[in-house]
Amino acid sequence: MGNKSSPKTRPPWLLLAPMYAFTILFVALPILYMFLLSFLTRAEVWGVEFQFTLANYKRILEPLYLDTFLESFRLALISTALVALIGYPYGYFMAKMSPAWKKRMLLLIMIPFWTSALIRLYGWIIVFRSNGVLDSLLMGLHITGEPLKLLYTYPAVVVGMVYALLPFMILAVYSSAEKMDWSLVEAARDLGASSRLAFWTVTFKMTLPGLLSGVVLTFIPSMGLFFIADLLGGNKIVLVGSVIQEQLTKGRNQPFAAALSAVLMVLTVLMIRLYRRITGASKLEGLV
Amino acid sequence: MRKTQWKKWGSLALSLLLLASLAAGCGGDAKPSGELSLYTWDGMFPQEILDGFEEETGIRVRYSNFDYDEDMLAKLEETEGKDYDLVIADDYIIELVIAEGLAQKLDTSKMENYKNLNPVFMSQFYDPNNEYTVPHGAGIPLLVYDPALTDVEITGYEDLWNPALADNIALTANYRVINGIALKVMGESYNTEDLDVLQAAGEKLLELAPNVRVINDSNTQDFIISGEAAVGFLYTSQVYLAMTARPDLKLVLPKEGLGFGIMASFLPSQAPNPDAAYAFLDYINRPENAAKCFEFLGYYCTNKAAESHISEDMKELLVLPEDAAAGEIVQNISQEAEDLHSEIWNQFRDACG
Amino acid sequence: MKTKKWPFAYVGIITAITYIPILLTVVYSFNASKISSVWGGFSLEWYRELFRDRDLGEALVNSLILAFLSCLSAAVVGTTGALGMYRWKSRLNDAVAMVSMLPIMIPEIILGMVFLSVFSLMNLPFGMLTLVIAHTAFCIPYVYSMVSTRLVGMDKSLEEAALDLGASPFRVFWDVTFPTILPGILSGVMLAFAMSFDDVVISIFVTGSKVNTLPVKIYTKLKTGVTPEVNALAAVMLAVTIALIAASAAVGNWTNRSERRQIKSQEKENV
Repeated sequence: MGNKSSPKTRPPWLLLAPMYAFTILFVALPILYMFLLSFLTRAEVWGVEFQFTLANYKRILEPLYLDTFLESFRLALISTALVALIGYPYGYFMAKMSPAWKKRMLLLIMIPFWTSALIRLYGWIIVFRSNGVLDSLLMGLHITGEPLKLLYTYPAVVVGMVYALLPFMILAVYSSAEKMDWSLVEAARDLGASSRLAFWTVTFKMTLPGLLSGVVLTFIPSMGLFFIADLLGGNKIVLVGSVIQEQLTKGRNQPFAAALSAVLMVLTVLMIRLYRRITGASKLEGLV
Repeated sequence: MRKTQWKKWGSLALSLLLLASLAAGCGGDAKPSGELSLYTWDGMFPQEILDGFEEETGIRVRYSNFDYDEDMLAKLEETEGKDYDLVIADDYIIELVIAEGLAQKLDTSKMENYKNLNPVFMSQFYDPNNEYTVPHGAGIPLLVYDPALTDVEITGYEDLWNPALADNIALTANYRVINGIALKVMGESYNTEDLDVLQAAGEKLLELAPNVRVINDSNTQDFIISGEAAVGFLYTSQVYLAMTARPDLKLVLPKEGLGFGIMASFLPSQAPNPDAAYAFLDYINRPENAAKCFEFLGYYCTNKAAESHISEDMKELLVLPEDAAAGEIVQNISQEAEDLHSEIWNQFRDACG
Repeated sequence: MKTKKWPFAYVGIITAITYIPILLTVVYSFNASKISSVWGGFSLEWYRELFRDRDLGEALVNSLILAFLSCLSAAVVGTTGALGMYRWKSRLNDAVAMVSMLPIMIPEIILGMVFLSVFSLMNLPFGMLTLVIAHTAFCIPYVYSMVSTRLVGMDKSLEEAALDLGASPFRVFWDVTFPTILPGILSGVMLAFAMSFDDVVISIFVTGSKVNTLPVKIYTKLKTGVTPEVNALAAVMLAVTIALIAASAAVGNWTNRSERRQIKSQEKENV
């Protein structure tokens, strides 16, 4: 008995060391540097002067930037919700397929994502543009009479976001549904539960870690994917990501860009914490 | 079962690696006698010129890219001007590069073809005594419109505000230039640092929002060519592409005045192989080579001797009439004014959506 | 077990939709027009252009090497990390796990900028090394979270039973734990590969004068415009990917068969 529990109480340093070392050296350090930057003053031409200031954070409180944050969150929430709605059943059904089909589907999902994102977005532009594929289809079926201006609208941006983020959700849900013990569902059914009740009490609960990890992996990047909004939305939706980009390039204002990033990061972490609290997923360990 | 799956993935990875090493082997067979690290946007030179230079000099061109001028500045600052031999970038950023001491003085005696350059594009604000730079192309943003899609006759920036153009204008995304439209309509300079004037320009610009269909920096010409928008405010290379694709489009030199910009090359302060940079500059400024470069690039030719080598049908678009060079260059302005520009721009974008 | 048809239909339709833009990309790579969204007739011009461009091939190789190396290191670090944290729970672990997720929580551009500054403070030479470090940083979260998802709720009693039966810890890992987490590692690596192979913003900042990656080349045509040459490139990459998968499937089938034969002959001997 004693020798069985001892390897668990002693930390497995050999396994932990690479993760600890890498995280501290190449993640924590750069991010600390980012926080430091956000309290400094920008230099005349390029770089920063080591002069402490809170001005960068004060500037974020201007209505223009607050609106930008709200807009970014709105788009991220809409996209994440849609991705979950579409991706969860996909991942779940995939887990029920035969092993051969599982492998095939896995590859089928990933292949498009091994080509350039920019090129895929151009593909969507071909679909949405005036007299494009979708317009021709709708007019051919006599659903619409004239070309719709679909490109550079909000729905076009949402389609682009959902498309870019879907595989994250599918793979996460699949990953947790695939190892599920289906006999539990059968047991519930044997005990007289309806298939719906069995799903909610057993399956959903057991695949929740996957859904959660999918939401995290979708929500986080969706805060930064401004180039989709730029290309499919015609630059007409201002997101935090593009303001940061602009401040770093044209504005040459590293400290303000760092402050925006810091706020974005903290808000994202808080959102994820909140989500965990609401879904009760805090009981599940191993995930952020 | 698991083992075979593992094997499958292993074999996939192995074949990938094999392919990579195979291709790497193919790429590395040339034996160069030196290297030139060229740092600029992608697609600045036709392959023919790069190949011709390598063949003639035996110097291997390492072509690496940035997308924004400011990324280039950041890289030079962090590497202290050590990594690259030759950089081509925009005028305003070169002023900063020189101010930061990241460019080296040129030895023009090393370039036989230096005399071919057009003096109209030299001695500019960023390098008044031509100590550091060699111009490589000039641009003027212009209006292009499709007369089949609109009855409005456009002669200047002011016409863009016409309500008949609702949801029909495509703009590039450089905010100094776009905010500049409003400034020009008000009769002001691009480079004004008067915050009240800028504020007024911002309000004027907001009124333009309902007419904007799309804001996009790359391939803006496509919107006009494909009929997605009736009017476009385009960069020079885009004007060139639009007009060559659809000669029926109308080109407008806005009556309120022209903007103007120059790209130029310079040697970073600690360039590892400056002789390669000189050799390259000399090669691309040979009249017939320069003509090829500008026909490919679609910017106004900055090489006087090359003008006679440019094919007749392209001359109109590549050789700048002397009087047009009087356009105003967008220069660096105070931080407060720059910040206000950025805020005006984001408000404007938001209003367009 | 009864199987319904409609789940397959659902999966099929969604998958088909994800292929629409890819298909159009391939179709438009044969577009004679220089404008990426208008059809101007059939042409192979862009393929000719593509194979003339020497830099592009070099950039493709760099991108493959970079994606391979960063996925490999992310797989090792992410998997060992997830396992270690699963075996030994502590608040410190939670904190490290949280921090390790941050590279995908902040916009790429600021990450690229701070990497540039921090690497130059550390005196690392800009090039493949800095690229691999930066890419590994944003690849780890994918592997780590996918593996953790597999580990959560894994039947611990299996591991314990195996240990009780006298199996060595290494054996237990190889026969019990590893098969459980393998699908997680694979899906994490697949996502990480896609992210690394497509990254522009961070790469622009941390690359050196000698190493250009493919996405950087595609995205930095800002001054000159993107032509259907990139469509042709995407089509070629797609073809190569599919060919590789087909090849590895063929190899897999072949090894499967020979293994089965081996097992059969062993069985005969046993009889």
